Amino acid sequence: MIIMPWTEKYTPQKTSEVVGQNKAVEIFLTWFRAWKPGKKAALFHGSTGVGKTCLVEALGKEKNLEIIEMNASNFRTASKIKEIIGQSIKQKSLFKKGKIFLIDEIDGIAGREDRGGTRELIKIIKESYYPIILTANNPYNPKLRSLRSYCLLIPFTKVYYWALINRLNLICQQEGLTCEKEVLRQLAKRSSGDLRSAINDLESLARESKQIKLTDLEKLGEREKETSIFDALKMIFKTKTALAAKLSIQSVDKDADEIFLWIEQNIINEYEEPEEIAKAYNMLSRADIFRNRIKIRQNWKYKKYMIDLMTGGVAVAKKEMYRKFSRYQYPDRIKFLGRTKFSRKEEREKLTELSKKLHCSTKKIRKEFLPFFKADLL
Amino acid sequence: MPEFEVWAEKYRPRSLKEVINQKHVVERLKAFVKEKNIPHCLFAGRAGIGKTASALALANDLYGKGWKATVLELNASDERGINVVRGKIKDFARTKSISDIRFKLIILDEADALTSDAQQALRRTMENYTRTARFILICNYSSKIIDPIQSRCAVFRFKRLSEKDRKEYIDRVVKGEKLGVDKTGMSALFELSEGDLRRVANLLQASASLGKKITGDIVYDVASRAKPKDVKDMLDLVLKGNFKSAREKLNDMILIQGLAGEDIIKEIHKQIYSLNISEENKIKLIDKTGEYDFRITEGGSALIQLESLLAQFLLFSKK
Repeated sequence: MIIMPWTEKYTPQKTSEVVGQNKAVEIFLTWFRAWKPGKKAALFHGSTGVGKTCLVEALGKEKNLEIIEMNASNFRTASKIKEIIGQSIKQKSLFKKGKIFLIDEIDGIAGREDRGGTRELIKIIKESYYPIILTANNPYNPKLRSLRSYCLLIPFTKVYYWALINRLNLICQQEGLTCEKEVLRQLAKRSSGDLRSAINDLESLARESKQIKLTDLEKLGEREKETSIFDALKMIFKTKTALAAKLSIQSVDKDADEIFLWIEQNIINEYEEPEEIAKAYNMLSRADIFRNRIKIRQNWKYKKYMIDLMTGGVAVAKKEMYRKFSRYQYPDRIKFLGRTKFSRKEEREKLTELSKKLHCSTKKIRKEFLPFFKADLL
Repeated sequence: MPEFEVWAEKYRPRSLKEVINQKHVVERLKAFVKEKNIPHCLFAGRAGIGKTASALALANDLYGKGWKATVLELNASDERGINVVRGKIKDFARTKSISDIRFKLIILDEADALTSDAQQALRRTMENYTRTARFILICNYSSKIIDPIQSRCAVFRFKRLSEKDRKEYIDRVVKGEKLGVDKTGMSALFELSEGDLRRVANLLQASASLGKKITGDIVYDVASRAKPKDVKDMLDLVLKGNFKSAREKLNDMILIQGLAGEDIIKEIHKQIYSLNISEENKIKLIDKTGEYDFRITEGGSALIQLESLLAQFLLFSKK
């Protein structure tokens, strides 16, 4: 008998069995039923282990479809994409009733070195005879901006605590495990909404004994997770403790300057009271001063003040925690600077040229001449 | 298509003889030309009254036709860091002048944009290259130039131009371009240019693009189109409680139009008086504006500081 990992053994066989994603399943099925060639692709997004791929596989089984699955990070250039999927989007399936394409982890595509990768994907979406499903952890990645408008975004939430526990309980019953209640609670908690990792943990504990005690949990290695910027923002905007806010950015894989822009962008997505907004921005303004002291003096000791003010300072600016879901946005500023990199460079060069001709600084040209003659000069 | 020609440049004096007024300065400069020797100079005075023009005219009179080869023009507000300035000066001053004048000329415009640290460094550079190069530093306020530099320079204060002086300049352009400016047009030019000849030229040229006959209405129209209404719109938005749109306006002004933070905050300060809020709140806002202006000077980045200032305006918004 082949031993299957539990994550596969207990993978949903029908779309209705997918755990904790009722909303996503519903949107997805509606999309799938209405799909015709030329329509948008579906873009599943959410953190890992919440059932994005599972749902596609479940649909395949339910409707007897051939799933052509590929991982976007393996083929990143336009020509590679064309080579691998370009053909099959117009060919009929040999054995099954139909086909669907699953392109996983498109976050990995479209770096600087993969020029044209997204463009090719868009082309494929437009031309495909079969529905295409993409998955991403963060669909708001600016690299995916152009692609986004050709996709229906379907959000996957983290799997709820009780849904996790139910699922783990079910597996315990099927596998004949006896397990302290607290064990399952702890497993659910530490997975922070990632069902796959919870099942993996349970399986590895069960390998040693059919009876699992709370003390066994210590054997599990801590799964060090990189906190996403979204989690950090949530902490900063929801907590009232300065220290918690400060610590939240520690394991975020972005530098302080970039996190600063994320916080700046999202203050008004969370706070609603003018007093809170004014306070929060005042803190950012102070943090900005320290940021520039670091630059001017080349002295990194100021960094701690910058970070404390921009995290803790912004966190304590609110009166009460907002009990609402806030959609945090990617910073406009980074988007803008990326988008206009070339046009700004071009403008700067033209202004430098003009500055020689007109014997004044580019600043003065902007202020004195461009208001009158922008079209003539640039 | 012929290349677009900017009148402010076209009617710039080629020789000291053509400089409008500033007689007290011009006479001394002419004497330098005669002696074929000049000291380091510091030109101070408000915008658009002939400082850069006099420096360039001096260079032309001194070196003759090929003056550009012996003159280095630098703009302190564009050159990032004193090291760039020093590097360029060094490269330039290292070689000997090819004309019969022994030294080359370095014109450093907007010198008040240099920090005092940078000015200290500049002072050494000036000393080191005195034998091969002379400096003309140009600034709006001589008080922003450190004493050791001032004491090494002959200081020239450029005067405000009278209405008569400005009329002389306008006539020069009007004649050259065959325009007609009526009385209302003339007084509009006086009023809107605030004594700045560069602005006179720009207003004239922009008005003339609508026709050769220039009236007050046309000048005002052109000036209002060029005047950024954005600041007022931005403040109106934020006082209506619409911070998001106000923030977008700000982003647009700084990131797309490339306006300087100091200019925007200056305009904000001006606008506060005409806002629809109580007198007491106006004063509170002026206090806040001053504080954020200070933070920008302290090295804060314009966008963050102005955005934070806008958030303070939000406190006085009516939803």
